[in-house]
Amino acid sequence: MMATLTRIGAIVVKEFRHLLRDPRMLLAVVITPVIQLLLFAYAISFDVENVPTLVVDLDQTQTSRTYLEQYEASPFFEVVAHGSTLADVDTAFDQNTARVAIVIQAGFARSLAAGEQAQVSVMVDGSEPNAAKVSQAYSVAINQLYTQQLTRQWADAQGLDLSSVGMLEPRVRTWYNPERRSSDFLIPGLMVVIIAIVTVQQTAVTLVRERDLGTEEQLEVSPLRKVELMVGKLLPWTLIAFAEVAMITGLGRTVFGIPMRGDFWALAVGAALFVFASLGMGLLISAVAPSLDTANILAMLIAFLPSFLLSGLAFALDQIPVVLQWISYGFPARYMVTISRGVFLKGAGFPEVWPELAALAVYAVVMIVISSVLYGRRARR
Amino acid sequence: MSSWADTVSSAPPPATTASDRGAISARGLRRTFGDTVAVDTLDLDVPTGAVFGLLGPDGAGKSTLIRMLATVLVPTAGEASVFGHSVTTERDAVTPRIGYMSQRFSMYPDLSVAENLEFFATIRGVGRADRRTRSQALLASMGLDEFTRRQAQHLSGGMKQKLMLATTLMHEPDLLLLDEPTTGVDPVSRREFWRILAGLHRAGKTVLVATPYMDEAERCTHIAFLDGGRIKQSGTPESIKALVPGRLLEVSATDPRAALAVVRTLPGVASVHLLGDVVRVLWEAPSEPVGPLTSALVAAGLHGVGVREISPDMETVFAFLAEADAPPGAGSEVAS
Repeated sequence: MMATLTRIGAIVVKEFRHLLRDPRMLLAVVITPVIQLLLFAYAISFDVENVPTLVVDLDQTQTSRTYLEQYEASPFFEVVAHGSTLADVDTAFDQNTARVAIVIQAGFARSLAAGEQAQVSVMVDGSEPNAAKVSQAYSVAINQLYTQQLTRQWADAQGLDLSSVGMLEPRVRTWYNPERRSSDFLIPGLMVVIIAIVTVQQTAVTLVRERDLGTEEQLEVSPLRKVELMVGKLLPWTLIAFAEVAMITGLGRTVFGIPMRGDFWALAVGAALFVFASLGMGLLISAVAPSLDTANILAMLIAFLPSFLLSGLAFALDQIPVVLQWISYGFPARYMVTISRGVFLKGAGFPEVWPELAALAVYAVVMIVISSVLYGRRARR
Repeated sequence: MSSWADTVSSAPPPATTASDRGAISARGLRRTFGDTVAVDTLDLDVPTGAVFGLLGPDGAGKSTLIRMLATVLVPTAGEASVFGHSVTTERDAVTPRIGYMSQRFSMYPDLSVAENLEFFATIRGVGRADRRTRSQALLASMGLDEFTRRQAQHLSGGMKQKLMLATTLMHEPDLLLLDEPTTGVDPVSRREFWRILAGLHRAGKTVLVATPYMDEAERCTHIAFLDGGRIKQSGTPESIKALVPGRLLEVSATDPRAALAVVRTLPGVASVHLLGDVVRVLWEAPSEPVGPLTSALVAAGLHGVGVREISPDMETVFAFLAEADAPPGAGSEVAS
């Protein structure tokens, strides 16, 4: 037992020495995650604010101006220009000076006064679909509000009490992320991607490197067992992965102000299981990859793409094709993204995320067993 | 090279252990890689305390044989034992007693000399106190003590080989399996390396060393010549030399090719071959060779004629043995 611990300790010390001697690796492990986090979190923003808006008021009445004030007051629209003809809309969209155009037809005030339906055109530049969708939704909302206002004014004028009539007033609330800030949504997911990249990539390379250096044979003629080697290789990366979880959590809380509503320990246990599952995947790659380059490419394919695309981070899992949904169950990232978002945003703890924790635990055990068997078989052939 | 001062053969006879089977015993050992037969049904016995030289060209099967004995490669067929323990079924009994040095440099290039020694000794189960005393002693004896903090990748070729040897010695193995430890190393370092091996031999270690250099065979107590995965000759250097019949002569002339043409026609000459600027002649007749050869060459009108008898070195011995083995007409520089 003591001898086993001594040998594992020797591997751990050696792995840390490799890490400290290699500035590129250190950079990849410490600096890259921070850069990735900042880049992703700032660049991939689904927030819609201050959409440049052009208004064309062909009615030019007090009523039309009151209506347009709704847009001026909204934080989602920023009225950047006032046009006088429909042609101005084309020009503004072509030159990218506006993404939304509000056109009030002549006769707007007259129609309203007559109790008829008034026409307002809302044109949206569809080349940025997310912003387009949100702008459209907001302008519809503004119109509804304005209609309600008009109704209320009409009721007042008629001496009716609307509250006694029992009109429905819809109130839409977004739970867990009331301000709908995309960084709240992204960072817990990005954490998963970053851990996956670092752990899978490094372990994928680590055993292949022993083989390339010829040191594998020296390890084989020692009493060192395969399991001891695996554990010795996994421990440093587990520690590093934990440091990264802490670092990303810290950055997320301080720089991006994301909340931590749930049980931190559920997140920690999830992270540990996820790290083991990822390291297991890395070892599996190492056991089958014939060269360092192959190992690197395989790691990139297996670590990055599924955890980015099939985890619910970039696309909601119920909106991707069914086949891809099935495939997503084959990668640990989807479970961890659920845990991470649950804990950060929904205030989840062990009672809520235990199915995902169990899935990760099974995944980790299966991966490490398969890779140990494959690695053992491969040697001495 | 034959002037090396400290040869292994001059060392006192080795201490023998109780084991009947010697240090290494292999029977019918065979290893294939796909269709290639690397080691072909080979028997080998290495007595305890021997310095056993495994000679042969590249691709002869030396590395494959050593790797099977080191338990890092599984034989396709046959069996081998080290100190009486099977290399396939009793690995755990074999590995603590062997030190294996592979042909290529297999230390961590980014770790220092001391860190490499420390790491491999630790996983080999050497205690902390022993690690310290042994590494100091080994590094000092190999002249590496000034470089303990240097990263392995910045060592010279000879120093790298010495570091690997030191690493294989840290757990004090009884048998050293050395795969071409002096290949690609400068002559001074080669001599130094063999001086260290001689010391290990005197300390009672058994050494199996593969080498493509025939001159190193003379430092061994036993040798085997491996070719095409089979052992062609084996024995002590003296017994191998005795396999060459007759006397060996070296003939020089201003035109060595013309001299070769003259000598090969003479009666009593068993074989002739050109070695650089001189012609090596194997004389089979019982008569004295120098006089008749000289007069025949002078009579043929050659200039600068010199003939002298030499004692055969391993290179020549194996050249003649290979020639005797080869079908007639094979080999470009060998006259039949």
